[in-house]
Amino acid sequence: MKTIITGSDRSFLNVSELKRYGGLFKYLSLRDVFVRYKQTWIGFGWSIIRPLINIVIFGCLSFLVDKSQNFTDNFLRVSAGIVFWQLLSTAISEVSNSLVSNSNILTKVYFPKLILPFSSLLVCLVDFMIAFIIFLLMFIIFKGLPPWQIIFLPLVVIYGLVFSFGVGLIFATASVKYRDVKFILPFIIQILFYASPVFLSSKFILDLNIPAFLKVIYQVNPLAYFLNAFKYCFYGTFESYNALYFFISLGITFLIVVFSVRYFLNFEKSFADYI
Amino acid sequence: MIMGRISIKVENISKKYQLFHREKNEEASLLGSMASGLVNVLKGKRNKSSHEDFWALKDISFEISQGDRVGVIGRNGAGKSTLLKVLSRVVKPTTGRIEFEGRMASLLEVGTGFHGDLSGRENIYLNGSIMGMTKREINARFDEIVDFSEVEKFLDTPVKKYSSGMYVRLAFAVAAHLNSDILIVDEVLAVGDASFQKKSLGKMETVSQESGKTILFVSHNMGQISALCNKGILLNKGKIETEGNIQSIITRYFNSGESQAQTQTEFACPNDPSKNLAITKITLLDKNKKNVRSFAHDEEISIAVTVTKNSSLKDIILGLFFSDMMDKKVFSVQLPVSDKFDIHNERVFILVVPMATFTPNTYRISAALHIPNIQMIDDRPNAGSFEVYDNGSDFYKYAGLDIGMVFVNCKWEF
Repeated sequence: MKTIITGSDRSFLNVSELKRYGGLFKYLSLRDVFVRYKQTWIGFGWSIIRPLINIVIFGCLSFLVDKSQNFTDNFLRVSAGIVFWQLLSTAISEVSNSLVSNSNILTKVYFPKLILPFSSLLVCLVDFMIAFIIFLLMFIIFKGLPPWQIIFLPLVVIYGLVFSFGVGLIFATASVKYRDVKFILPFIIQILFYASPVFLSSKFILDLNIPAFLKVIYQVNPLAYFLNAFKYCFYGTFESYNALYFFISLGITFLIVVFSVRYFLNFEKSFADYI
Repeated sequence: MIMGRISIKVENISKKYQLFHREKNEEASLLGSMASGLVNVLKGKRNKSSHEDFWALKDISFEISQGDRVGVIGRNGAGKSTLLKVLSRVVKPTTGRIEFEGRMASLLEVGTGFHGDLSGRENIYLNGSIMGMTKREINARFDEIVDFSEVEKFLDTPVKKYSSGMYVRLAFAVAAHLNSDILIVDEVLAVGDASFQKKSLGKMETVSQESGKTILFVSHNMGQISALCNKGILLNKGKIETEGNIQSIITRYFNSGESQAQTQTEFACPNDPSKNLAITKITLLDKNKKNVRSFAHDEEISIAVTVTKNSSLKDIILGLFFSDMMDKKVFSVQLPVSDKFDIHNERVFILVVPMATFTPNTYRISAALHIPNIQMIDDRPNAGSFEVYDNGSDFYKYAGLDIGMVFVNCKWEF
């Protein structure tokens, strides 16, 4: 096997190489999971407590603002939003941090760097699974078994992860050179939180007396579709579904992922010089 | 594996870094610099700085055959580490081309990716996979790794609880069991206590003699280099100064650049008639009668002392002693010289110190002419100095350890 390195090398998506580093992917993912709650007293209990605190805060808040539903229904709906939102937002921030937090490896050994953002996804999924199981139990207790639409759930989760991965990858690449990302990111995630139907329903927002262009932005927000699709899996109705906006947000997701991977690969070879 | 095939081919590799310089009229205080930073942000100006190109490597070309063990030598900042980083694909060369054959593993650091919260066992798998081993390869060598590291009892303890010695031993153990055709090692052996250094170096030797593995090795310890390597590359300021046989490269390295050695000293011939004899010159010579300042430990050292006679005097002794830089005397020699002058008024006495006398270190020579216990005629303390470097002695593994000042060829009986 011959390897050639030249000064004008550009990275490309080398799937066979990524496969060869499958073991590394596995161990890095497991490392993140094992280390996540090390030296905490509550341990993985945190993956329940963190969404729980948010559910209580935003459940109460949405009940005060939007009185169209009864208390339990409202809490379940907010829970669904928060549990899925937590997956998307942690995925975005974990992927964004994945390069800088592994700079000690990045500067010492060669491997396809795409492994790092990829491997940071597992820990988000584990957190999500724990919170999700609790949510599912609550749902079954109060509402009974979910409808047949629940079979779409894996698709929705994967779609959401792909989007978060793309967004995170852009930030991850930028943060190699500009640590400003670390400071901007929490605000962006906060804005996305309020710009998506996490605790207030899409219907409530669209009925508000706000400029029309804001409503358009709100509707093409891919996150809005993931969250509503997630709720669709449990309630069987797709809140404020609009085929045009759906395809636009699908297109946005696609563009973000393609752009992020290209941006990443363009700079991959200089990471060690800048990080 | 066929020996002699090209394993690594490097063509015109250069690596440029940019050095940023702040403008001189910078505020000295933290508050001042924060204030000026704020002003710059408000004015929409970036922090004023100029940059300068710095070539860490410039037009490096060489070829390494399969099975060669190449020592990369150079002073600090010569570009050794950059070269290894470029070769191991951690950083991209600015220009040039590298071709290599087979699997490459690089050890720029021991314990890359070790996580303090993970146990020794988990870290073996994590670190092994970072180094490019598959799970099957790690499984196959797991027991060997644990054996070598001597941390079996603590395998399930988080490594942050390890002593630094244990940590390093485990890290090196993983690295030493890498499976690759090319191995790149950057001075990682300078770790651990003396006995572990010896063990790890022994392991490196075994590894290097395994089926035609190509090795690139950076170290400041010439003893290690000459024991491990058969070829050498001498780097100087990002360029290759010479390459070739390791011994000639090491000699070249020691005889280039600045050094505190003082290899030739001339003294003015005293006009004072009371000084009827004087030492006028002391020169250090290698076996080819060339004036050098560093010697391999297994090389003869010649010291030429020129003595000038004004009038005759009886019972005069030429004495020389050697001392280390701490002024601890190593040994002395003497020679009666009165009867050695026949018709000449000047004579050169050459003292030949047999090979393998001094252990690697820097030594000073002092010389004197005297009549024992009666008169000091000419005293020349610290008139010259020289370095002895390790050329692969039995003791090279104990770099930095005090092994005494002389080698003595003793006999064992058992």
